[in-house]
Amino acid sequence: MLRPEQVEEAVKTGGSTRRPDDRITPRFKTGDAVRVRNRNPTGHTRLARYTRGKRGVIHHDHGVFIFPDTNAHGRGEKPQHVYSVRFEAAELWGEPTSLRDAVYIDLWEDYLEPA
Amino acid sequence: MNGIHDLGGMHGFGPVVREKDEPVFHAEWERRTFGLLTATLALRRYNIDEFRHAIERMDPVRYLESSYYEHWLHALETLLIEKGVLTQQELNNRTAELAKGVS
Amino acid sequence: MSTQHHNAPESEPALRVKALESLLVEKGLVDPQTLDLLVDAYENKVGPKNGAKVVARAWVDPAYKARLLSNGTAAIAELGFSGMQGEDMVVVENTPTVHNLIVCTLCSCYPWPTLGLPPVWYKSAPYRSRAVSDPRGLLKEFGLDIAPEVEIRVWDSSAEVRYMVLPEHPKGTEHMSEAELAELVTRDSMIGVAKVTVGSKARS
Repeated sequence: MLRPEQVEEAVKTGGSTRRPDDRITPRFKTGDAVRVRNRNPTGHTRLARYTRGKRGVIHHDHGVFIFPDTNAHGRGEKPQHVYSVRFEAAELWGEPTSLRDAVYIDLWEDYLEPA
Repeated sequence: MNGIHDLGGMHGFGPVVREKDEPVFHAEWERRTFGLLTATLALRRYNIDEFRHAIERMDPVRYLESSYYEHWLHALETLLIEKGVLTQQELNNRTAELAKGVS
Repeated sequence: MSTQHHNAPESEPALRVKALESLLVEKGLVDPQTLDLLVDAYENKVGPKNGAKVVARAWVDPAYKARLLSNGTAAIAELGFSGMQGEDMVVVENTPTVHNLIVCTLCSCYPWPTLGLPPVWYKSAPYRSRAVSDPRGLLKEFGLDIAPEVEIRVWDSSAEVRYMVLPEHPKGTEHMSEAELAELVTRDSMIGVAKVTVGSKARS
């Protein structure tokens, strides 16, 4: 049970889902072209539908984190790299209001394949 | 899951409605619900991913029609029962007592 | 896949929460004072004033700004802000050529340690659906007209990294102290739906 005297520390510390592990080598690096896999799991995922099958570019490797698709179903943490991926507005929406704009979304390595 | 929560790119929801000088909480029950999430996560009977998924599993019409903290309330009830911390019967009985003013 | 757990007629939320809390307290699983303290922390203590301090510091101290943009978590922690829903922070900078906007299309992820709890509109279907596909139309509704030559970057907080915008330092504020600058920085400017001007006033 979380006791009152523990609240301040809990608020200040939180609960990071980062799992640093140098043995888990990243598959992608900044600048790589990637395509989002067309996955449609019936369970929990953070793979937003609007990105599936779309081509993007790796902007940044955030490091290794717990994988929610397994963690939400008692199938373990399966830690892996999470990437910030840039998608051009035209790629996502066809004929967007502005061709200049982009969406950056954070995607786990399992969601991606090389483009 | 391809659920109602996955809203990015959908059309038809109209303009963004903003409340002037909006308070952090709109009712006492929202406050208690907010506190209950952190307090129950500390029990380590479920994690934040299970919590989000419980919200995603809401009936889609109820998801859109209910308020944000009602989503949290739904998830808390669902998970606490699924994990065996409470039973539906206990919850029903207590709710009925409170409704009658018996405490 | 929905689960039908509510055989009982749907009672109003207040009754349901009272039932839940009272049962958990009786079973020795939750301390009501813990809930009081958590509520107090996020209703009265943690809020956008924190983020405003981070922004003002970045405006007056170029070395701090560089640290903030390269490691948001560490730089924000330098000012004493850290923790729940902000364990891993990234700060994105608005410039004359780039305007940033933060959203969580899938739920409501938001950087609590610097901005407090999110407003209802941020968690609403209209915002979550349109921020990624029509940021210009959305920003117009907020009174912000972004020039065609400016690139809009929308950051969808789909993982556990939390994002915050470093708004542009407004003209006409060169004489202001760091504390005075912090008073100008609004929550909305750190989400990206507003800019900071010399006439801005942070609400609380």
